[in-house]
Formats: sequence, C-alpha cells, structure tokens
Amino acid sequence: MSTDKRITLQQAAEIVKNGSSLTFSGFTIWRRPVAVVYELIRQQKRGLHLIEVNGGPQTEFLVGAGCVDIWESCWVGHELYGKYGANLSRKVGKKEILVEDYSHAEMLFRFTAAAMGAPYAVTQTSLGTDIHNPEYDVLGRAGKRDGKRIGKQKYVYTDDPFFDAGPQVLIPAAKVDVAILCVQQVGEEGTVRISGQLYSDTEVARAADITIVVAEEIVPESYLRRDADHNTISSFEVDYIVECPFGAHPTGMFGKYDVDGAFLKDFFTNTRTQEGFDAFAKEWIFGLDHIGYLEKLGWSRMLNLRANTALNYKPRR
Amino acid sequence: MSNYASPEEYGLADLLCCAASRQVRDNEIVFAGTGLPMVAIMLAQKTHAPNLKLIFEAGTLDGRPPELPTSVGDARCETGASRSTGLFDTFSIAQRGYVDLGYLGGAEIDQYGNVNTTCIGNYLEPDLRLTGSGGNPDINSFARRTVFIMVHEKRRFVEHVSYITSPGWRVRKWPGGEWVHRRELYGAAFRGGPSAVISTAGVFGFDQEDGHMYLETYHPGKTVDEIRDLCQFDLDVSRVKGETEPPTKEELYFIHDVLDPDEIFIPKVKKA
Repeated sequence: MSTDKRITLQQAAEIVKNGSSLTFSGFTIWRRPVAVVYELIRQQKRGLHLIEVNGGPQTEFLVGAGCVDIWESCWVGHELYGKYGANLSRKVGKKEILVEDYSHAEMLFRFTAAAMGAPYAVTQTSLGTDIHNPEYDVLGRAGKRDGKRIGKQKYVYTDDPFFDAGPQVLIPAAKVDVAILCVQQVGEEGTVRISGQLYSDTEVARAADITIVVAEEIVPESYLRRDADHNTISSFEVDYIVECPFGAHPTGMFGKYDVDGAFLKDFFTNTRTQEGFDAFAKEWIFGLDHIGYLEKLGWSRMLNLRANTALNYKPRR
Repeated sequence: MSNYASPEEYGLADLLCCAASRQVRDNEIVFAGTGLPMVAIMLAQKTHAPNLKLIFEAGTLDGRPPELPTSVGDARCETGASRSTGLFDTFSIAQRGYVDLGYLGGAEIDQYGNVNTTCIGNYLEPDLRLTGSGGNPDINSFARRTVFIMVHEKRRFVEHVSYITSPGWRVRKWPGGEWVHRRELYGAAFRGGPSAVISTAGVFGFDQEDGHMYLETYHPGKTVDEIRDLCQFDLDVSRVKGETEPPTKEELYFIHDVLDPDEIFIPKVKKA
C-alpha cells in the first residue's frame, strides 16, 4: 500500500478551520509545532478552541495574535525564559478569552479517556481545590456546555461504587478536532518514531479526529518497519504528514536542537503589551515563510542550538 | 570541628537548596519540579541519598542527568534514565502511590498549606492571571510529603489565598465548599500532604492533626518576631528549634562546581 500523506505547511494550516478545537505535541518549551502555528497566524484563523495538556510558546503566539477564543489547560509560560504567559494574562484581564482550568493530571487523563474512546475519566487528584469549585465553571457560565464537543458538566463528584475508596471526580474526555504533532521522524505512510520523552503525544494523536504530523524528516516506511518496537504512533492514526526541518523552533527537539532561550526571553519581555506582540508578529511571522524565518535566524544561531547526536542535547561546555 | 560554610561563603539560594535537599531520605521516589528543586534533589543524590529515584513529570523515570536540565521536558532529563516515556506513566505512577516526596512552589500560601499559582484577586475577574496549576495539585495530592519553596513576603503568606490551586491540610469539600480535613476528603487515596515550607525567611512544618503551619527554624540573620510579622495569619512559633542549618562546604562544592556551574538556577556568591 502506498498512500502518500504528504502536504505542505500551508495545507496543514488550512485543515484547521475558524472555530476548530486544536491540540499539540510536546511539553512546555519542547517539541511544539511552531512552524504550523506561525502559518495559522498568517492565515488569520479566528475562534480557535485550544485544549492542551499544558501550554507554552505556541499558546502565547496564537493567543497574542487573537486566534483563540477558548483555552482549556493547566499551565502556560516559557519555563525559565518567561515565568508566565503574558499574552494570555492580558487577554484574561480584558475578558477577550475564556479560560477553563483543569489540573495537569486531569488534562492528561481527559486526553487518555478520549484516546480510549471513553466519555470520561475518573481520578482523585486535586480534591478540595478551587479547580473543582462549581462557581468557577467558566464554559458553563458562558453557556458553552452543549454536550456535543464540550461536556455538559465540568466535573461530576462521586464516590467509588466498587471498593468504597471515597470521593472521586469524573472529568470529560478531551474531544478535539485536530492534533498537530512535531516529531523527529515520520514514515511515508504515517508511522511515527519519537525519540526522548514522549510527553502526551500518543494520547493526543489518538484522541483527535484529524492528526497532522510535522517531522524533521520523512523517512522510508520500510526503514521504520525494520524495528517496529521502536515506533511510537501507528501509521493509520496519522492523516497527514509534513516535512519541516527546525519546525519546532524556538522550542527544542530532543536529539536535534535545544530550546532557543534567548528568543523566548525576548518574546516574553517584548510582548506584554498588544503593541509589543504586534511588532513581534510583524517582524517574525507576517511576510515570512518557514525558509525566510530560518534565513532571518541565520546559520550561526541555528548551529549554536544544534544537539550533539551522541548526547541528544547541546552540551554547555 | 564543623564543616559548615561561613556566612560570607554562601547565599540565600544555597541555604534554600541545602534545606530542600535535606528533606529527602535515601531510597525515596521524588518528583522534581523545574528550578531550584532539581538542584536540591541532585544534591541529595550526590550526598546523603545516593539511591533516591528521580521522576521528571514530562516522562523520565529514575533519571540521572549528567548535566542540569533547564526544565522537566529538557532533552537532558533522559540521559541515564531507567525509562523515557510520557505523562501517562508519570501521573499513573504518582496516583498509584509510588511517590514519597514532591517539591513545589507557589505565589501565595495560607496557614493550612493551601497554595495558589493561578491568579491574584477574584478568579472570575482577576487582577493578574498567573501560570496556572501545572502539576502542582497533582503531585501534592498523590505524594506522601510535599515541600513548598517560596519567597517570604507578607502578601504571600495570607489568611486566605485568592484561589486554592493545590490542596493543603484543610480543604474545601465540593459542591458545598465546607472546610474539611484533607484526610476526610481523600479517603483511601490519603497518603499525607504538605510537610514543609522552605521560605526565604525560615523552615516551617505542619501539625498533621489540625493542619496548621508552625515555624521550625529561622534562617541565619532572621528573628522569630520578624518572621511572625511576615505572615498575615497568626503564626505558631511555639515549636521553634533554632537556626536553619547552614550549607556545608561539601554541599557548596557540589552545587557550584558539579551541578550548576553555569548558575542556571543558583547564583554564586560574589567575592568582595
């Protein structure tokens, strides 16, 4: 069988419609599909509903650009390069975005439920916190809980009916239209091989209706199938593939390149105001394509991020 | 004969890092958050707890990174690990009850150890939206002991936090919101809770029966009265043991020459 799933970055972004729900691979400042995120901004998407296990620079780019109406997650920031998500914070203050808070484990279990085809998950995390405060059901207050893509309730409080283990919470499956992943290798038929930590990539890929994989390189399927036990996501779970070297920059990619901390620090420092964000977008997103972006970053900067292939990171000394 | 460093040889970050490191016992399974806690745990691994098992939330089990990671998702986390996997494994392992100790931070804390990292002011119309929970409530719900590392300011040690992100010893039972002891709410999943706060002023413990915070030791140069004035709630100072133990010369060597020579999380004391 040879079904070529290759598309371009532009086509990948076109699959995401205004109002789509969307999620990503990666973890905070690692392995985020930023090249597609920039393209979503160039295509001026509106009304997106981001559902993320955790946020990061990709959240801040999309939120700053006004693409996002709803963000469901637990955390946003740039780790040590920026202590919180200043764009999200500003838009929350101006009531330009709805934020629904779950805990990190809850977000992960919500995606796990969706990936299992189950309507909800059960957990005992975060009991007693304001995350479970019924007054703070933001999507409920906004009348968004239609029981179709967004669960009718934020939580159900219950007790263990089997072993009397006490209070439990039920949390709705994370039903999401599109997952965009950024990985090291994908085969022509969609088999994915991820190196390093897997984060929540297998769960989000399976949970989404459409899964797009952006890879540093597209490799022959036959190469990946020689060692099937090293593969991470099966071919038929992936709908489209894109080859895009350095597609995660400024976030890092295990074995390929480190996080561009200086880029993130500048972004965090300069985009606390909308004017600051607009100037950033004008300089780094609009009027450029991916190659133009890499050319603007320049060889010396990119070589300085390049990981040592034996260590899988760029050693500091 | 003491091997302790003299006051001019260490800074506040060194003191906090060593105090945090001493909370770990050998053979324990520890969840490491980004920042100073990573250095503290790796310091314990080099000194009194060589067999501790380190979990990085992003997917590393029993990690032994040779170079300090800058976050828990860093490529450096994977080197030397027992397994490199994902959040499903790390959170399942935590919920299953394997984790002895977690290190966390916060913007605000109350006398029962409830911590806020979500917002300042009314949640629905906040004065400032912060990063959000991350894994703070999860690690704190699942681990036997949790250590919070915090900047000590009066606006942070409050009567009531703006938003309970992470559960302390007395928490709210939803949907009604009555205050109950954590043990009552967590049922069979109850394993413990916040065991210490290491602030920039002192080290604090919790009475596990009624759940209140008390001062255990004050940092060199601080006084009990000063610390009591830095809390909006009435701090229990009846159990003070004395001064916080300073770093040893060996600990300072590991922090600055081995673990964090590039001063990513712990600055070196500048020689006058």
